[in-house]
Amino acid sequence: MNARKLSDGQFAWLLMIPGLALFLAIIAYPLVAALVTGFFEQSLVRPGRAFVGLANFADVLGGDFWPVLRNTLVFTIGATLIPFVVGYALALALNAGIRGSGFLRGLFLFPWVIPGVVVSFLWLWIFNANYGVLNGVLTQAGFIETTVSWLGQPVTAMIAVIVTKTWASFPWMMVMLLAGLQTMPKELHEAASVDGAGAVRRFRSVTLPHMKGIAGIVLLLEFIWNFQHFDTIYVLTGGGPAGSTKTFAVAVYDTAFKGFDLGHATALGGLWMLLLLVLVAFYLRRETKESS
Amino acid sequence: MTTMNRRDALRMLGLSTLGATALAACAPDASGGGAPKGDTAAKTFGFTSWSLNEEAQKGAVQAIVDAYATAKQVKVHTASFPYNEYLNQVTLKLRGGQVSGAIQLDISWLGALAAMGKLRDLSPQAAKGGYTEVARSSGQFDGKQLGLPWTTGSIGLIANTDLLKKAGVDGLPSTVEEFEAALGKVGKLGGGVVPYAAATKAAQLKDILPWMQTFGSPLLNGEEIAVGDDASVAAVEWYKKLYDAKLIAPDVDRFDARALFAQGKAAFYDDAIIARGVVSSQAPDKTLTEKMAPLARPVLKAGDTPRALLWGHVIVVVDGEGADAAADFASFATSDTATVAGFFEKVKLPPTTTAGLADPKVAGDTFTTDWTEKITKTATPNPFWRYAGYAQIESTIAEQVQAVLVGQSSAKEALAKAAETAKGLQK
Amino acid sequence: MTVTLTSPASVSRRQVKVRRRPDQVRSRLAAWIAVVVIGLFGMLPVYWLVATAFTPDDKAFSFPPSLFPTEITFDHFANLARNEQLFGYLVNSVIVSVVTAVLSVVVSAYMAYAFSKFRYRGRRSLMHLVLASQMFPQALLLVTLYAVFSASGLLGSYTALILSFTTFTLPLCVWMLKGIFDTVPSSLMEAAAIDGASRLRTLHQIALPLAAPGLVAAGLFAFVRAWNDFVFALTLTDPDRQTLPPGLVHTYLGEFQTAWPDLMAASFVVSLPVIAAFMFLQRYLVGGLTAGAVKG
Repeated sequence: MNARKLSDGQFAWLLMIPGLALFLAIIAYPLVAALVTGFFEQSLVRPGRAFVGLANFADVLGGDFWPVLRNTLVFTIGATLIPFVVGYALALALNAGIRGSGFLRGLFLFPWVIPGVVVSFLWLWIFNANYGVLNGVLTQAGFIETTVSWLGQPVTAMIAVIVTKTWASFPWMMVMLLAGLQTMPKELHEAASVDGAGAVRRFRSVTLPHMKGIAGIVLLLEFIWNFQHFDTIYVLTGGGPAGSTKTFAVAVYDTAFKGFDLGHATALGGLWMLLLLVLVAFYLRRETKESS
Repeated sequence: MTTMNRRDALRMLGLSTLGATALAACAPDASGGGAPKGDTAAKTFGFTSWSLNEEAQKGAVQAIVDAYATAKQVKVHTASFPYNEYLNQVTLKLRGGQVSGAIQLDISWLGALAAMGKLRDLSPQAAKGGYTEVARSSGQFDGKQLGLPWTTGSIGLIANTDLLKKAGVDGLPSTVEEFEAALGKVGKLGGGVVPYAAATKAAQLKDILPWMQTFGSPLLNGEEIAVGDDASVAAVEWYKKLYDAKLIAPDVDRFDARALFAQGKAAFYDDAIIARGVVSSQAPDKTLTEKMAPLARPVLKAGDTPRALLWGHVIVVVDGEGADAAADFASFATSDTATVAGFFEKVKLPPTTTAGLADPKVAGDTFTTDWTEKITKTATPNPFWRYAGYAQIESTIAEQVQAVLVGQSSAKEALAKAAETAKGLQK
Repeated sequence: MTVTLTSPASVSRRQVKVRRRPDQVRSRLAAWIAVVVIGLFGMLPVYWLVATAFTPDDKAFSFPPSLFPTEITFDHFANLARNEQLFGYLVNSVIVSVVTAVLSVVVSAYMAYAFSKFRYRGRRSLMHLVLASQMFPQALLLVTLYAVFSASGLLGSYTALILSFTTFTLPLCVWMLKGIFDTVPSSLMEAAAIDGASRLRTLHQIALPLAAPGLVAAGLFAFVRAWNDFVFALTLTDPDRQTLPPGLVHTYLGEFQTAWPDLMAASFVVSLPVIAAFMFLQRYLVGGLTAGAVKG
């Protein structure tokens, strides 16, 4: 076999060829090409394009960028932290030695494996202003007098998309965190309780440090995914009302594929990418630390 | 300008043909496989229609397609997207060369699709179709006959006379003042009744444009956007007043409004003349259609001309494969008298030909004649239609009006901003 | 520390045997409260989905809705069975998701192995680039992908969809599989090399079998991401080759938006295959996911 004649390095590169080719063709090239488009006035429906320098970026910064950034951050942080807390609480509960926790864990995976669009439909129905079950329950219980248009007002619409995303995400976070908890040596806890540490103390000094690694990964991944999440918002609110739930993903999509304005869409996307670089740097530092 | 477009059109045509060939070569799967290769151009073509996605019209449209397919021994490959996603999807698919044949369009979308330069000129079919002048002009863009009119009407207000009676409203309101008073009375009924199920979701917030006209705004002055003038600001402030008084409801689009109305939970709503067919298919109360009454949009001062927007469907044909057959189908669907009269009977969409309109089935229908008399007669085209960026102009205005409704911005500020953005889209 | 894949059931059984102290009783009570509260949040919507699917149309529009169906109908499922289009979407989804998963796992296995087991120039920067690409905005990639596929005539084909899905499944699989290969002791490979096995053979006959649970997990993950994708499928498919997410949106989000029971019935049915697959495979999934992450 001629592979034997190669050095380890050459062999490794050989292994990477298919992946690398794919990576260059469908990720690296499209990204660079899209970023370049930001400097042109280009329409999706008409051929040709004209170089306009930084005009698109200036337009975007003077227009949509800041509200969209704010919405994206609110959504991303909310839809990352809330399911994390819910998932963590559930993981701790399932790890507390209650009966049937294996079965329960399987059951709780349900919301996560339901296709995202279906999740959105379901909550669209729940939040429906006129016939929705949420309004039904709340009016019957006397919490509200008249029905609330959850998706028709800026604040409640944002809450609604975060709740929906929380529902879809907490299960996998729970599974990961539970797996982390289960690898925690029991002796550590027992030793701590022999030393007289209470439950809270044990959680803080034993559980938390042990869980730092996995919690970080879970938060990071969810954050990354939410930062470019599209389905829930597109189906639930379409970015409205009055653009109050319009995140980068929705804004770029709408500008490019509904407004057919590729120049402004990619300029907005380019600025979004710039922000991501900060995240990438953080991510890389973490990866570097881990692989060393 | 025109020559540029034509050259672009040719280039895109070439590109799409290339694309289509490559597609056929690379993707040997599924899609209309049945027909033998060779004379496919004549034997199969596509028909894209959102009506095939709507319960009330699906059967009637499919029946036309089937009748044509049987009579002409052809295979019609149908596709559909929901109305609110339609323009977006059709544009993407058309640019990518994935749709061919005949396409149903809202007359307001003609400009956007015409800009792509892929539509066939249908003058020969239009000349012999016997269409009314108004209808024929609804299929014209930039001097070319790109669409055959399928139905022409208007978007107007519809009332539930039964609810009005219950609320103690006598007769139909004819001024804005009376309209408001009527809404107030209906509002007192409670029980989840929305007095006026006006569109407040971005997709159909364009319904506010005729109200702006009612308040005296021309919307467009020559080439200058007039949205943002005092009259349009007054209209939006009035909308906001109704919204705050819960006389109109948040988060409503055309489909929600129809559902509300069909359930007897809205006294007024805006819809095209298609309303009766849709509502009757959804309403649990089978007598509801008898209680529906079209009314002229209330005016600011008694004696003003009521405002309404023209509305209609046209069928366009994509140049290229199967175009001849598709054009023939478009002509059949829109001008064959028996077909259009039968279609009217099922879905209540008025035909566009003189012969069709004279058919006793149509002429004897009081709801339709009422509608034509009260609403369509004074209806005008939306001035923004002539811009290819029309859809974006409209959604910009919609988003800003929403911002006013939810209290994020004042009407004056919001509309000024909308006008500013819209300026960049006038091309 | 390496991870042993203990099944959770055996863990909890062991824990039950521990003698109960008062604070354990308290914590168990707290645990049950948490399970019930979160359970309600997690399960009530599922219940509502199923309940609506069996509710007759006219009842679905009564307000306030009755929480327990007073009348049950199978009409909506019958409607569904008559809907050939929806079945077509299902087939498309299966084809595209399976091919995406297989392609991603195969390609990334080699790449991840190279990243994990060899040290060479450019390794670190490349690895970081590939891993970081998980964050690249899909909506932005889509702009170019649409143009590229359109120009090459691939628009609307399965190929276009699979390739576009790979933009997010490839980095994810590389990331997961590198974690898995890191847990395969290098000493095993060195031993194989001493026995005269080629590097390729070592990879195929020693490393891959050891990493099998991880490969399954990565494949599952890729499958689910592909199955759920909406934005690429919305833009790059043509009407015949739509996958379920855009297919459902395009079938129900217009006029039929008011046909909630039909929509819920469709939602219920299309969720079943994925749920079933997960019930069988969740063990692998958890193991594969956490192998890379849980290193103590």
